Amino acid sequence: MPTRYLFVFAQAHVDFRIPELVSIAELNGFAIIFPDIPEERDPTRPFMILGLEEDEHARILARRCILVKSIYQFYARGSSYEEMHERNRDVRSQWSQYIPDTSFKFVIDGYNRSITQSRQREIINSFSYMAMMGKIDMNNPQIILGCFEERAFHSRRTSKDPALLQVYFGRLIEEGSARSLIRRFDVKRREYFGNTSMEAEMSLLMANQTLASPGKLIYDPFVGTGSMVYTTAHFGAQVFGSDIDGRQMRGKDKQPGIIRAATQYGVASRIMDLCTFDVTNNPWRCGELFDAIVTDPPYGVRAGAKRLGRKKERQFLQRSTCPQPNDAPYIHPTKPYELSNLASDLVVLARYMLKPGGRLVFFLPTVTDEYDQLDIDSMLCEGMTVIANSLQDFGSWGRRLVTIRKTTTAKFSVPSFDADSIETGHVPAHKGFRDKFFQGFRKDAQDTAEAES
Amino acid sequence: MVRLITHNLLACHVKNCTSNNFPLAFKDLGDTSLPAEQPDMIDDEFLQKLHHVLLEIHVEEGSMVCPNCNHVYPISNGIPNMLLAEHEIG
Repeated sequence: MPTRYLFVFAQAHVDFRIPELVSIAELNGFAIIFPDIPEERDPTRPFMILGLEEDEHARILARRCILVKSIYQFYARGSSYEEMHERNRDVRSQWSQYIPDTSFKFVIDGYNRSITQSRQREIINSFSYMAMMGKIDMNNPQIILGCFEERAFHSRRTSKDPALLQVYFGRLIEEGSARSLIRRFDVKRREYFGNTSMEAEMSLLMANQTLASPGKLIYDPFVGTGSMVYTTAHFGAQVFGSDIDGRQMRGKDKQPGIIRAATQYGVASRIMDLCTFDVTNNPWRCGELFDAIVTDPPYGVRAGAKRLGRKKERQFLQRSTCPQPNDAPYIHPTKPYELSNLASDLVVLARYMLKPGGRLVFFLPTVTDEYDQLDIDSMLCEGMTVIANSLQDFGSWGRRLVTIRKTTTAKFSVPSFDADSIETGHVPAHKGFRDKFFQGFRKDAQDTAEAES
Repeated sequence: MVRLITHNLLACHVKNCTSNNFPLAFKDLGDTSLPAEQPDMIDDEFLQKLHHVLLEIHVEEGSMVCPNCNHVYPISNGIPNMLLAEHEIG
């Protein structure tokens, strides 16, 4: 019979909470039991009661999950304080061991309405029936008892007293300690970053989705300034990065920028290597090398997506085969890489390069009004299954962190990346994302653009 | 810093260069601590040497050359440039 735990979440990225918990549980080989009633596992609510086998599992989650604020052993809840107290009396056996001689303190917190000091004192006093005999110790108590009230969302103008939805009570198992990593990986304090660097919190969430841990080999095929390299390496994985544009990885100094930032975080020895190449013309000598592929592909807004080749096929130029005059460096011709082609190519590449059971974790920008589940499904190929799809909403557009697992052990031949020739019949919302972005996602503008072209 | 483990994962990928395209030739590295044949007994000493050779030797400047088509992949500040020219892509 699993014990029930009260999870208190940080107020950010609600859609990422459950996938993160499930990933870290999978990484450590234990299960989380989710409530049966849909509204009790609604990820937008800040509290959730989940079943775990033992306290140690709760501690593991609190130490690794970025979105967990704290985890309590669950005692009681209710839609009013009276109901919660009544149920708390019923589970006396769970807390009676702390009555005789355990120092303690109370933590009272509210969601959607703060609780005044005097009201906090009232709430604490309402627990007097527990008759805790130990001394109150605010600095170093043996146990911390937490009471949380969840109130309905309201606007300040309409109501000062939003409806009480639920009161929760429990004993602290562990404060979440992974959130401090957000500060540690703060982009502004990083030795090297660029205008495409991923924010710290998101790159940590991505690292958790890859199941990064010692002994894993992880690859970022669009490494850029290396945002995900640092976080995955921090969790112990060996990381490999490549990019078509070496300048992004190098920066200005002699020592490559990614190595400088990795040195700052103490993970330089886990950056296996960085390479300049086009992922559609890659030099990997075999497949099934990596445990995970994590990337934020260029979608044409900050950084243009490019691949080797020319925009228009033209007569084969004799000039390009000739040695370049004297010291002039050879400039590799590139052509744009349309986002929907890039996304489906990435899935095919991942299926070839991942070990069985390995994960592909990447961001896909999408237009909020036009997004359809089929957009994701239509870019999959056999043996690749979506296990998480979390939206970071920016209003008229958003980006989805898609996690795909390789579920097959079949061997595949080297992918050819001639996506232009593949006709799926479905036009995903992220196709031509760049143009839609710069037209402000206006439907009429798109229609005229299509009519013109 | 091209580590030898990376070198071990890369092959020449020029169009139609499909045989004898691995391993890419390095300039002489001067490390002879590993035996030529895999030893019967895999002990800690061997594993340490292997770790040293695979992960601790970095090539900062130089090049890797395909033994088949002689394509030169230059390495600068430890980052190899594996880009292909227009006539080399498939």
